[in-house]
Amino acid sequence: MIVDANANLGNWPFRRTSYNDPKRLLERLARVDIDRAWVVSLDAVMYKNVHAANAPLAEMAAEYPALMPVATINPTFPAWERDLVECKESLGYRGVRAYPNYHQYELGDPAFDDFLAVADDLDMFVEIAVRMTDERHHHPLCMVPPVELAALPDLAAKYPRLPIMLINAKNTDLVPLIEPTEGMENLWFEMSHIEGTGGVEQLGRSLGLEHILFGTHAPYYYPESAILKVTRECEFSEEEQEAILYGNAGRLLASAGP
Amino acid sequence: MVIDCHTHIQGYKGSPDDPPSLKLRRTGRTGYLLEFADRLGIDKICLSLGTSRDYYPTPEVIAESNDMVWAEAERYPDRIIGFCYLNPRYLQESLAEMDRCIANGPFRGIKLWVAIHVDHPNLDPIADKAAELGVPILQHTWIKIAGNLPDESEPRHVAAIAERHPQTTFIMAHSGGNWERGYKTIIEHQNVYGELAGGDPEMGQAEMAVRLLGADRLVWGSDAPGRSFASQLSKVTGADLTEDEKAAILGGNMERILGL
Amino acid sequence: MIVDCHVHPTSPPDQMLHYADRMSIDKLCLSLGPHFIQQPTPEQVEADNDFNRRLVEVYPDRFLAYANLNPNYLEHSLREIERCLVDGPFIGIKLWVAMRCDHANCDVIAERIAELGALVLQHTFYRTGGNLAGESSPADLAALADRHPQTTFIMAHGGLNWEKGLKTVIEQENILVDTCGFDPEMGYTEMAVRLLGAERVVYGSDGAGRSFASQLAKVYGADITESEKTAILGGNMERILGL
Repeated sequence: MIVDANANLGNWPFRRTSYNDPKRLLERLARVDIDRAWVVSLDAVMYKNVHAANAPLAEMAAEYPALMPVATINPTFPAWERDLVECKESLGYRGVRAYPNYHQYELGDPAFDDFLAVADDLDMFVEIAVRMTDERHHHPLCMVPPVELAALPDLAAKYPRLPIMLINAKNTDLVPLIEPTEGMENLWFEMSHIEGTGGVEQLGRSLGLEHILFGTHAPYYYPESAILKVTRECEFSEEEQEAILYGNAGRLLASAGP
Repeated sequence: MVIDCHTHIQGYKGSPDDPPSLKLRRTGRTGYLLEFADRLGIDKICLSLGTSRDYYPTPEVIAESNDMVWAEAERYPDRIIGFCYLNPRYLQESLAEMDRCIANGPFRGIKLWVAIHVDHPNLDPIADKAAELGVPILQHTWIKIAGNLPDESEPRHVAAIAERHPQTTFIMAHSGGNWERGYKTIIEHQNVYGELAGGDPEMGQAEMAVRLLGADRLVWGSDAPGRSFASQLSKVTGADLTEDEKAAILGGNMERILGL
Repeated sequence: MIVDCHVHPTSPPDQMLHYADRMSIDKLCLSLGPHFIQQPTPEQVEADNDFNRRLVEVYPDRFLAYANLNPNYLEHSLREIERCLVDGPFIGIKLWVAMRCDHANCDVIAERIAELGALVLQHTFYRTGGNLAGESSPADLAALADRHPQTTFIMAHGGLNWEKGLKTVIEQENILVDTCGFDPEMGYTEMAVRLLGAERVVYGSDGAGRSFASQLAKVYGADITESEKTAILGGNMERILGL
């Protein structure tokens, strides 16, 4: 059993990606024995009214039990709260993703605090996408810096029941979080962007392997990258490997509530 | 055979206060790198640079760096292939270092980083000498949207020097980072190889290179230890290519270039 | 009946009516004047209102008019309301970009309009790169409308950046939105109907600067019911104006 906590459907404006519809994505992931995937809509990132992507994604994923869709919300856009309630109560979403950098707010923005409070009330989990692609070669008309994470430990402490998951965070984003997030049970780290020789093992042990989630960032990334890191490069015990590949994902969902 | 055309000595030397997670890095300059290479089935690694990351190293720093690589290559002669680091701003010293390390030493290639654009006239005698010695030039390239370092080469610089030296083999390290642009820059330059090291494992890269250049003009490298062997290998193992094409990229082409 | 809730007399009236006829538009609601003046003096305000009044008098079956105001001149604005609405044929007022509508002067004006049972047509933009100094956003209008639940407002242009504009005024039942003055982007009218209900959407063109056709397309081409289209094209304005 392998759960990919970071896969994408739909179109990315700056590169044509293959395998970006549900059927082809699942077939591609199955090539490396990934059974289930948590998917977001790439279309939502650049939409002004991001909620427009949530109903179609839910509908698309409904036909594929192996997919769990994750909604997208921009808490600086009007009526987001009503949209988020609709995501949970009508569309069946359990998780919601924020793109503070693409949607131009900081983690310290009061709107983000409100967002976490509502997600907490709704028993959802929250994903923060730290980046989407390598900043060094963004499109020149759309240069988007990564999310500044210094405010994260305080926010996570304020909502101890709310699972918060960092997506696409690199080593340099995560190292400063090791100390201030020590012992926090509600913070989760997806590993697709952890680099360096043995990086997932070394950084993962520092952050706590019980909070590392397997993720591929497919189809933007080759899913083989994450698979090789966890199953071949790093020296994990069988229990540790199972926790990363699916066990931790299950615990995250359970901790979010029904 | 799997050959990693692009690895480095860890810049960090280690301190007694390091946490246990860094222990591996203190056990030797490259011993730990080979442990990871074993796990991923990598037979040989091409090693370059020392522990200095000066953009403009002096001839003394260059010699010291190459001595470090030389020592590692002697310690693991079946696994490590040295690439001779140069700062072409020092032309006479560079030519002398090529004699010391390649003509009279075990090094099998040249590594150029960010000291000078590779189409600078100083590179002409170096490129000719590399052709005489039968060794490739591995040139770092990137196209950074916020601007390169002042003397950091882009793919177009490699294309320019390669046109002047058709007998010299160039490996365009990182394929410019912005690889869609990088590969399209060198389509016509038969003596330039695309190279896969050091960027994120973005889908489609190796496929595009093979489509535009052919599988015999693409080589695999990792940029370890800064990058994971695993993430970098996925660019080939995960690509929609034939097994023959993958074998050529992972090692066959480098075997031919290095005359192994 | 088709009522265009938002036009300006920037081309000759017979020419405007010629094209309105071709598009079966029955009535056109005028505002501003032949020359758009962002910060008009009281004299310029009166001149534009007199210009539109003459058009209403010459073509009483075709033209209606909103009185222009510059709320920076509060006393003059209140006098102009008396002159045009109480003692004249105007159906409401038009506020453009002279002053943001969340200013206290607009509270006084909105109260008077409620007493008269008339309409406020308020230009709104969410302009990427920042609004003009006196240019209202949908959020400004929502704040004003919250303070004056008895006043009926038409939020012109849906805020331009309409996905954001429409979502800003969901809760303000006394705000209607018009369809005018931006490109015929698919989805606008559907979203407005979905969020606000068809009874809160009114057709307008922003002619003569815009084509009646491109703006009518937002209603004709929308994936909504025929009865919703009828309401938007004229039914809602008939109800509001008691035509």
